[in-house]
Amino acid sequence: MRLDIKVNAYRKPLETAGTLVHGRRKKWSTEFWMLLPSMILLAVISIFPFLYMIYASFMDYSLSFDEPTFNGMKNWEKVLTNDTFWASWGRTAVYALCGLSLEMLIGVGMALLIYVLPKARNLILTLWMIPLFVAPVVVGLLGRFLLNSTYGLYAWLFRLIGVETEILGNVSTALPAIILMDVWEWTPLITMIVFAGLQSLPEEVLEAAEVDGAGYVRRLIHVIFPLISRTILLALLIRMMDILRFVDTIKITTEGGPADSTKVIGYHLMEVAFRFQDFGSAAALGLSMLVVTIFLGQQFVRFMRKGEE
Amino acid sequence: MAPRVRKIAMYLVLYSIAGIALLWALLPVLWMLLSSLKTQAGMFSMPPKFIFKPNFDTFAYMFSERGNFTHFLTNSVIASGVSTGISLVLGTLGGFALARRKFKGEKHISFWIISTRMAPIPAVLLPLYLMFSKMGLIGTMTGLIFAYTTLNLPFALWMMMIFFKEVPVDLEEAAMIDGCSRFQAFWRVVIPPAAPGLVATGILCLMFAWNDFLFASVFSGHENQTIPVAATLLITQQGIAWGQAMATGTVIITPMVIAGLIVRKYLVRGLSMGAVK
Repeated sequence: MRLDIKVNAYRKPLETAGTLVHGRRKKWSTEFWMLLPSMILLAVISIFPFLYMIYASFMDYSLSFDEPTFNGMKNWEKVLTNDTFWASWGRTAVYALCGLSLEMLIGVGMALLIYVLPKARNLILTLWMIPLFVAPVVVGLLGRFLLNSTYGLYAWLFRLIGVETEILGNVSTALPAIILMDVWEWTPLITMIVFAGLQSLPEEVLEAAEVDGAGYVRRLIHVIFPLISRTILLALLIRMMDILRFVDTIKITTEGGPADSTKVIGYHLMEVAFRFQDFGSAAALGLSMLVVTIFLGQQFVRFMRKGEE
Repeated sequence: MAPRVRKIAMYLVLYSIAGIALLWALLPVLWMLLSSLKTQAGMFSMPPKFIFKPNFDTFAYMFSERGNFTHFLTNSVIASGVSTGISLVLGTLGGFALARRKFKGEKHISFWIISTRMAPIPAVLLPLYLMFSKMGLIGTMTGLIFAYTTLNLPFALWMMMIFFKEVPVDLEEAAMIDGCSRFQAFWRVVIPPAAPGLVATGILCLMFAWNDFLFASVFSGHENQTIPVAATLLITQQGIAWGQAMATGTVIITPMVIAGLIVRKYLVRGLSMGAVK
């Protein structure tokens, strides 16, 4: 009898094998029980908050009231007709656009550079990725320290070339400075992703192109870029979603100022929720962020699945 | 001879560019490290000094009773350690199930998981805050651990799923034919080859929790502030205690830099949720 089951188990695909070894068909498999706790926890932390946010966005909801009261579309109206809302999204877009272009340019460039340097490859890559591990709070503190107009190292370097300014306290330079901090911290990630893509390129193809007499630039444009374009796009999507999440460094460096010049959408939300305690509007605001993120996330997953097939 | 010279010149240029890039990447970190070892006066001297006698007073003060840094450090270690542990256990079990089993609506489940990880924290923070305040979890360690787990569990699930997919199914089948139960096969045969991935996932979870400021600043009370929050306490109306700030920064990043470099091989997969091999 036992032997029978074993022979059967060997022939059947794994899914049924698990249930057959136990001698009877089970309605819920081992895997179901393995996944269940995670699913419950994820539901508690994602579905419930999501529904709650929809609910709160239709409520006059503040900590100073005992009970939230229904106020229809008022929060949405308040959020959508608010200039700060659109300006914050605009700044987020500028942030994403400028930050991402720089990160892509430097990140991909560094990946290609490290790829053609055979000797010091590992050393350069290791040192280059150190900023990735620096906590956003520390990035903010460092930014403030290095750019301080009287004793900052970078401000001192600027003075050497004759530029003297309070960089983080200036409306026109605060956002660029924040963007550069982001570029500093996250460009290595792009490099790592693209470098991984380069390493998985089929060598025969590259060699064939070289044998055919294509110069480096031509190989780059006609062979390398087309092959790693998917990887580059994925890196772009990941960073785009991350930029939406970004708040910490701004909180430390400028608190959204001066004159709102660094107030991105995430920071605006934090302010509406926790400084003004207007949870209803904050919920509507948060939903606007979720919509954008979910759209980006869908693209991300679509891209990944295309690669698997 | 000429092509050789051209080649040398080219490499010289390329290495110089790499050198400049590394300077840009490392100077801030290096400067922080140096500043934390300087005296108050030395720190602010202009032009900046790169060579000086190191001074450990700031660190000594931080870890003295008045500096109270041990307290913050303990909080950070507990909050990030426990949440990493929970995420790893649940993520390993669930990740294996996702890797092996065909579910109805599997694609939806995996998209749902990834979306919880990618959701903008400021937006997620709000309902969690309301939920936690109803449950009396604001200002407690439990609340903070729970918050970090929400951040790390979807990540751990996704990562472990990818690592388990790389372990050949034949291994378990063989073990099960030898009489192991499904779970025994998982525990004895599948876990060992996936162990490096497990360690990498753990280190990355640890890093996300350790580096977090937003959750800690909203959910933690006076009793359980973590080091990143402690670092921001140094920013006051009167100015910033730069010596301490730089020393705190050094303490925050050192373990993560070391851990991160250890799992370097898996880093790309971790930070891009397995998108690229």
